[in-house]
Amino acid sequence: MTLVRASTLRIAWRSLWRNKRRTALALAAIGLSTALVLTYNGVLRAYGDWMVATITGPMLGDVQVHAPGWRKDRGLDRTLPTASATLATLRRDPEVAAASGRIYAPILVALGDEGFAAFVIGVDPDVEAHPMGLLASAPVHPSGRGVLVGKKLADVMGVRVGDQLALVGQGVDGSFANDLYIVTALIETPVDMVNRQAVVMELGEAQRLFMMSDEVHEIMIRARDSDHGAMLAQRLTAEPRFAGTEVLHWRALAPDLVNLVELVDVAWVFVLVLVFVAAAAGIANTMLISTFERTRELGMLLALGVRPLRIVGMVVVEALALGVVGVALGFALGGGIVAIFHRIGFDLAQLTGGGPSAISFAGMNWTLRLFPSLAMIDLVRTFVAVVVTALVASAWPAIRAARLQPVTALRA
Amino acid sequence: MRDPHGHRRGLLWVVAVALIVQPAFADEPKPPDVDAVLAKLDDLYRSTSSIARVELVVVTPRSTRTMRVKAWTRGEDKALIVVESPSRDAGTATLRVGENLWMYLPRVAKTMRIPPSMMLGSWMGTDFTNDDLVKESSLRKDFVARIDKRSSSPAGWWLTLTAKPGVVGRWARIDLLVSDDMLPVEERHYDRKLRLARTLTFDTVKKLSGRTLPTRMVVTPAGETDKRTELTYGELALDVDVPESTFSLSRLERKR
Repeated sequence: MTLVRASTLRIAWRSLWRNKRRTALALAAIGLSTALVLTYNGVLRAYGDWMVATITGPMLGDVQVHAPGWRKDRGLDRTLPTASATLATLRRDPEVAAASGRIYAPILVALGDEGFAAFVIGVDPDVEAHPMGLLASAPVHPSGRGVLVGKKLADVMGVRVGDQLALVGQGVDGSFANDLYIVTALIETPVDMVNRQAVVMELGEAQRLFMMSDEVHEIMIRARDSDHGAMLAQRLTAEPRFAGTEVLHWRALAPDLVNLVELVDVAWVFVLVLVFVAAAAGIANTMLISTFERTRELGMLLALGVRPLRIVGMVVVEALALGVVGVALGFALGGGIVAIFHRIGFDLAQLTGGGPSAISFAGMNWTLRLFPSLAMIDLVRTFVAVVVTALVASAWPAIRAARLQPVTALRA
Repeated sequence: MRDPHGHRRGLLWVVAVALIVQPAFADEPKPPDVDAVLAKLDDLYRSTSSIARVELVVVTPRSTRTMRVKAWTRGEDKALIVVESPSRDAGTATLRVGENLWMYLPRVAKTMRIPPSMMLGSWMGTDFTNDDLVKESSLRKDFVARIDKRSSSPAGWWLTLTAKPGVVGRWARIDLLVSDDMLPVEERHYDRKLRLARTLTFDTVKKLSGRTLPTRMVVTPAGETDKRTELTYGELALDVDVPESTFSLSRLERKR
């Protein structure tokens, strides 16, 4: 048995437009709330993606490799040996988008007589210049004796581009590491620690300064698909090349930031409740009134031998049609809004009354300009929510209509 | 290593200065006067001036590095330490005047003041901190000492030193083993959270410049197995003429 006959559909559609103003109002309510939900979803999605990108982009990457114990004490001698071979293997891996070796070493840095506590990051400039990378905004790359200095450190020290800095530290063999370097740029990165304390140096130069051979403290891996980062970490851990090292997904490296992201991930649930309420109110009210108005007509149909189930079908289909049309209007409107903001960006700072354009939190600088986007799942969720609401909201009017006694209904 | 029998000779003074006699110690040597012990330890390696040659051996799991330095001191707050070997680092110098610490780096011909934030950092890669060089540490002034227990091997006493209230220092407590001839044998330094931070052991007692003292000191950071710094006095000349001008920045830069 077909659940809904074509005639039922036709009748439902016709009934829907009998009171144009009421239906239009209901559609507007459903459509606007759907559009609102989509816009909010788009911003939320952008926020979540941006958060992960801000977290993983500059420093963490998707996966990191360290020598055991390094993360605890950052001991200079806890290095990963044969770094270039490991990096070459990783770069050939089809699931790896980029891999970069890094060195971290505490130093004293001085322009004049005054020494300042800082640390050297030895990096592979080509990899770190990725659009979300540490050196994304660096005007020049560190190279040879040319180093980049964190903006805040430079401010404190009074360092300008072109200045010569003396760096003193300790080599990995315990010897003195000291040399002179030229500041080629001051950098502002999303990582506060780097802005406040870092001297960024080319990896090879850092290895030379700290008497290191082909070794690094950290290998940062950017996965081709970030969503598969955890699996990549797991797979690499099992590889003999990484035996005796610590291969971790960023979620394991920065558990505090994971909570932040997960909060965004569940926020859509609250938004969906909004759609339920709006759709339920619009549909239930419309259907209830319209069945009340048609009590006599329904009584007539029943008297003519129409089965109560068909009456239920008519009412439900009418409600569904209302919901689907409303959601379609909402998709058109919401999709349009998201598309526009996707292009021009959505400035959270403006919403808060023109405050700062970025905030510093958890040691990271977060920009407040987002680029909303929607995924199919957002549309499906919203659609399903409206349809389910339509079904639930039409239940009462439908059952009421089916239970009408033809005689009483005709006299009403 | 020390000769354990030699310690008995120093016991006479203990009898003379001991003020408290506890029944538990009836058959044991009398405990020493803690003030006298602290006073002696405070000034053991100090004098109005000194010139010393010291060998430092820095042991890490990865390497063992030997460094020879020459050190001049004058009064309690002036010191100059110049690296003599290895030749690669020769001329690297540390100058202390009061609370300030400078480093001279001959390779880049640069003098650099060590910032206060780095005071707890390692001094030239050893297990000593910059703070160890600068701090006007005085066991007598900063700590309240009490006798803890008798140590049989080596013969001596364990003293427990607790930081006096209001004294801002790195150590909240020091457990000190002092031999019967009033020389330090072992010090255990506990940080402000009462965790053992490092152990100092003293041995190779010799007479240098008319003073009998342990000429070797080993610093072992707590929780590290293959990490330590050994400091051995080669020469020590006390109360010699060290001109004031030794401790100047210009001298630091000239000196090689």
